[in-house]
Amino acid sequence: MSGENQGGAIVPYSEEAKKPVVYPLRHGLKPPISRLGISWSRGNSLRVTVFRQPSEDSENEVGGKAVEVRLDGRDGEISDAQWRRIAYGSVSPFALLQSRKNSFASLSKISSTTSPFDAEWWEYVLEYSKDISSLLGNQTSTTQSLIEDPKEVLKKDPEPSNLKAAWELMESFYADKLSQAWLPERLVDWLADYDSLFSSTQETVHSKLVDFQKDLVSLQVIEDEPKYWEVMSSALAVGWLDIVVKLLRLHGSYQLDQLGNRETENGLVEAVAVLISKMPRMRPELEAGKLGECFKAKPDFMKAWEKWRAQIAKLECSTFWIQCAHRQTQEGLRNMLQIMLGNTNNLCTLTCHWMELYIAHFLYIRPFTVGLESMYGLAQKCIQLKPMAASHRLMGLLIGILGENIEVVLAECSKGFGPWMVTHAIEVLTAGSHQADTLLHEERDNLGGISMEELHRLVYAQVLSSHPLTWQIAPIYLTSCIKQGMGLLEMLLYKQPVDHNQLLLKNLEICRLYELDSVSSNIMKIAGMYNWKHGKKGSGVYWLQQARDEARLNRIAQQMFDSVGRSISDENFRQWEGLIQLLGSEPKTAGGLEFLHNYRDFKKSLLQIRDGKTTDAARQAVESLISLMKNPCTPQRFWLPLLHDSLKLLNWEERPLLNVLQTNLLLNKLQELSIARLRPDFIEADLPPHALSSVRLALATNLGRTTLEEQ
Amino acid sequence: MDKAVATLDKGTTCSSWNYCGQRLATGSTDGTLSIFDSPDPSSSSFTCNLKTKVHAGAILKVVWVPPEFGDAVACICSDGSLLLWEEIVEDAQPLQWKLCKSFESTSTQVLDVQFGVSSTSLKLVAAYSDGHVKVYELLDPLILKNWQLQASCISASISWNPQKGENQGSSFVLGFNSDTPQLNSSKVWEFDEAHNRWLPVAELALPEDRSDEVYAVAWALNIGRPYEVIAVATQKGIAIWHVGANPELDGRLSVEKVALLSGHGGEVWQMEWDMSGTTLATTGSDGMVRLWQSNLNGVWDEQAAFQPTA
Repeated sequence: MSGENQGGAIVPYSEEAKKPVVYPLRHGLKPPISRLGISWSRGNSLRVTVFRQPSEDSENEVGGKAVEVRLDGRDGEISDAQWRRIAYGSVSPFALLQSRKNSFASLSKISSTTSPFDAEWWEYVLEYSKDISSLLGNQTSTTQSLIEDPKEVLKKDPEPSNLKAAWELMESFYADKLSQAWLPERLVDWLADYDSLFSSTQETVHSKLVDFQKDLVSLQVIEDEPKYWEVMSSALAVGWLDIVVKLLRLHGSYQLDQLGNRETENGLVEAVAVLISKMPRMRPELEAGKLGECFKAKPDFMKAWEKWRAQIAKLECSTFWIQCAHRQTQEGLRNMLQIMLGNTNNLCTLTCHWMELYIAHFLYIRPFTVGLESMYGLAQKCIQLKPMAASHRLMGLLIGILGENIEVVLAECSKGFGPWMVTHAIEVLTAGSHQADTLLHEERDNLGGISMEELHRLVYAQVLSSHPLTWQIAPIYLTSCIKQGMGLLEMLLYKQPVDHNQLLLKNLEICRLYELDSVSSNIMKIAGMYNWKHGKKGSGVYWLQQARDEARLNRIAQQMFDSVGRSISDENFRQWEGLIQLLGSEPKTAGGLEFLHNYRDFKKSLLQIRDGKTTDAARQAVESLISLMKNPCTPQRFWLPLLHDSLKLLNWEERPLLNVLQTNLLLNKLQELSIARLRPDFIEADLPPHALSSVRLALATNLGRTTLEEQ
Repeated sequence: MDKAVATLDKGTTCSSWNYCGQRLATGSTDGTLSIFDSPDPSSSSFTCNLKTKVHAGAILKVVWVPPEFGDAVACICSDGSLLLWEEIVEDAQPLQWKLCKSFESTSTQVLDVQFGVSSTSLKLVAAYSDGHVKVYELLDPLILKNWQLQASCISASISWNPQKGENQGSSFVLGFNSDTPQLNSSKVWEFDEAHNRWLPVAELALPEDRSDEVYAVAWALNIGRPYEVIAVATQKGIAIWHVGANPELDGRLSVEKVALLSGHGGEVWQMEWDMSGTTLATTGSDGMVRLWQSNLNGVWDEQAAFQPTA
């Protein structure tokens, strides 16, 4: 996929009508293409079937291809496995925050004193933000060597990601109440972590340092190298003080054999190093290893700032410079002092893009900057002075945040970072900005009555549904969508296949969890039919019973009836018997099933009879037959089939099995049957035409024999 | 971003995926029906496990039967007949595909077939080349052999209201592409339980557009909107209609045409809505796949297009 794809899902947001992007769809077939077919599969996957023109040449056997296109357009920066890890990891923080939100809402209904914006709520939001942030770092750990290499000025940190950078911006501006007081310094830290992300499109201070680091190994006299001074000044401009001091201490004048001759030079270098390390910073604290002196209160900071600047000015005017023999050292150090004094020209030359210049302004020119409006104005100025070579999604986002333009923030998140980002960042955004809260929770007619917050969650859920390994987490997001969430969830569950048992059970579990009874019975119905048609009749009946599908179960019971009177193999009988068992003997199905149970017993005993010998089995069978014929449950249409089935018993060689009473009973039943057959609505049993006469004959013979015996 | 999931044989002319996207049915010019499967749901590579000749002539369209009635496919053949094949284990035989129903091949051509599922039954709507539309109902939910003709009315694109639940299977939209102008405009048909018949309840065409031939219709799934969204494609473009859910005093539904999209410049072959009913995918004679969506202000626009390339 070429690089034009911006990495955003197809989410509707208001923008002027733009020309749609055209993407290539690779199918690998030889032209001509005759037709295209389309079908939406899971979530956002579109399947396109490409048909070739059926032609005469026999060399090419391929008639077409089915191609799957994923429309979530994620960039290549994050691997599939990594993305799944992030998706899965975000579920708990999101769910926890929603449940806390719900309990807050119900509390505020009870007592009007609690508002969603009180202190406890901020803690929850920050906790949520930190949980998400921890998912976004890269997994590669740094191996710290035991011996610190003095020439390693730039630590080999794990590769930062754009996503984490974006998240931290959102966190600093919207979630972290504490850092609101010292936002400029917060941005200094941010740039220190993420400046390398801009190196792909242009030169940055970070890339300059990386290049210099490579040369450092081979340099003999470091202070002669003009790059040394340039790199140090640039690093100083963006506030990477520890790196600057480390580099300064590599100056040749520190070497033991040089110390004697270059005392003044060394003194000057050290003086600058000390000044740098004592720079006042308008922030509560610094990370270990970082340099500067922290001040929380503005008056204290101002006093220290004046004092520090005075010290720099004094050094600037000192007479020691004349005594400094090394020209580059003199020039370089004085340049650095100029930076510290806030010389705009220097700062402009030494920084590579507007963000670095912006940071430099905060550090050396306007350390008292407070409030988004003034920060935004300054940003605009810096952009004009030092525009970036190419637009970067992080910059777009930052401008939107500074400009307090929620729609731009959302658009940039969506375009640059995708639906995951928008869905999860909205939580932070709505907490940190009243404007965002109103905008995102307003119900819009254009969207069918839902809010933007819900829309984005629905879109994200669809993205999750596109992959078989993430669809199960979509329900958690869908249940937080009050209007259309359930509808989409039902559709999602309905579209899952039923042929794999594990998947089916998982699906039903989700239905149970969210009380989607109609969906679950529908799924069970499909599973029942699937099993029934594929020969797994037992499973089929089981699922249909679970689904309480009366229509189909009744039809199955009817089918069971059809087997009555037919000769079936042992194997089939066992299956038939098992199904009767499963169907149970509910009286609901017209008393029929009880009959089937009795019939089953009768049939079983019939099968046990061995030819010729009068065993208990034969007598048992006769008993069953008689009780069946006497039982009012037995439908009349089965009398003849039953008797026909029992011909073997009726024509017993050894001795007649039925006594006079029994034979008479059966003959009477036959008589009843003959009369019934004259009625117009009588259904003829599916038997050979001589069945009736054979039975009549057998019974008559039997009567004769028993009468003789009993005499 | 794109990957091939199945390779089709020479002469394949039509295809259809089943409800969960796990099986693909294709029909070809020599009357062969092929079924593709994948080994497990998370794999996305499909291989052909079945090829069977169902007809002497060509198969023009294949449509899957809803899963509540088993695994079955309806094939529209070039001689006008409609065949139903299903995958079943019958008696002692192993699992196989069998012909379970052949609808009488009259002198007219079947143009389109769609299935609608309701809580009580399966209905089939078939549109014929003589302008007739037949609605068949399945009598026995277990067996796909017995169909009863429920209605035969005049009105070849059909799309059922895909709503699941109590209201399912009770309405569909039909549009004709014919040289009889009165037939053409797309109408929404609803089943009137009280009188046991199908009635047209809405017409999706402006008075001046009534005679336009309809290439395709598609009814979007409604996951909670107060109105239904239906797309109708004619030579003038793709029109998006909002249809009110509740009937007015005269029993008809209110309709509003909210957009006319430029479409594909020529014939529109197929239109499909995604699972949330918000994105419309279309293909047409210009050989492109286009995706359409409405933005936050309700304005419909083309969002992306795909150009097939080798």
